[in-house]
Amino acid sequence: MTLVRYAYPNIRPLNTFARTLSPWAGLESEIDRLFQSTRGGVAGATATRRVPVDLYEDKDNTYVRAELPGVNREDINIELVDGYLSIAATRKNKTADREESVSLTRSVSVPDAAVQADKITAAYENGILTVTLPKREEAKPRKVTVAVK
Amino acid sequence: MSLISSIIPALNRTAAPTTAKLATGDFAPTIKPAYELSETADGFALTVYLPGVEHAGLEFKADAENLSVIARRTWKTPAAWTSLYRESDTASYELTLSHENIVDLDKVQAELRDGVLRVALVKSESVKPRQIKVT
Repeated sequence: MTLVRYAYPNIRPLNTFARTLSPWAGLESEIDRLFQSTRGGVAGATATRRVPVDLYEDKDNTYVRAELPGVNREDINIELVDGYLSIAATRKNKTADREESVSLTRSVSVPDAAVQADKITAAYENGILTVTLPKREEAKPRKVTVAVK
Repeated sequence: MSLISSIIPALNRTAAPTTAKLATGDFAPTIKPAYELSETADGFALTVYLPGVEHAGLEFKADAENLSVIARRTWKTPAAWTSLYRESDTASYELTLSHENIVDLDKVQAELRDGVLRVALVKSESVKPRQIKVT
């Protein structure tokens, strides 16, 4: 038995351009969905409300990269509480006749003891938020040279 | 083999790649981005979510049948970074929507900001409802 990741259902209208499409449009989109769901586990933002997160590290920092397309910088709120880095953002969509806002949240467990909480920085570019969490000195890998007598 | 192919003609056919991929010569796997499409008074509003895509990596084409978006992520993981956990994909985004010539291609307006492509499509005059005067 294999574990298959849950594929988030796509938010999509029943057929793309209503009325004018071929009678097979429904079937086509159903087949599309079927094939997409096999890649659903790895696909990026398949649903608009999901916030995919990547974690990286190098010698000095841990990095959290979150996909948050279409959000204003002032609507992003990052907090580090009890070892959890939580990212909350609000996307405001304005159309001619209505305005809607979608809230996106995601939290990532971060070992409290390993992060210099007062030196966390964040940058937002092209819809991707990068949070840089500097490591504490004691959490960095240490190199000790032992002299052999 | 040729006997089997002659019995089943479908075996002689090769899969036709999509035109969008042919144009770029790029056969790498792509993912379909999340998108929203809504009808407005005189056309359609299309929103495509493309996190990590800059203007330079975006290709947006419209012809008589299809609208196609191919978007590549410009960001590459720095060599010193080790990935601990991944949820996003580095594959390019590809989205093709068929509009069956109901969109006025001269009036397509598109804007990419913060990883979101917003396109305003205006319906062509031929499909707009017309008031017919009865005499």
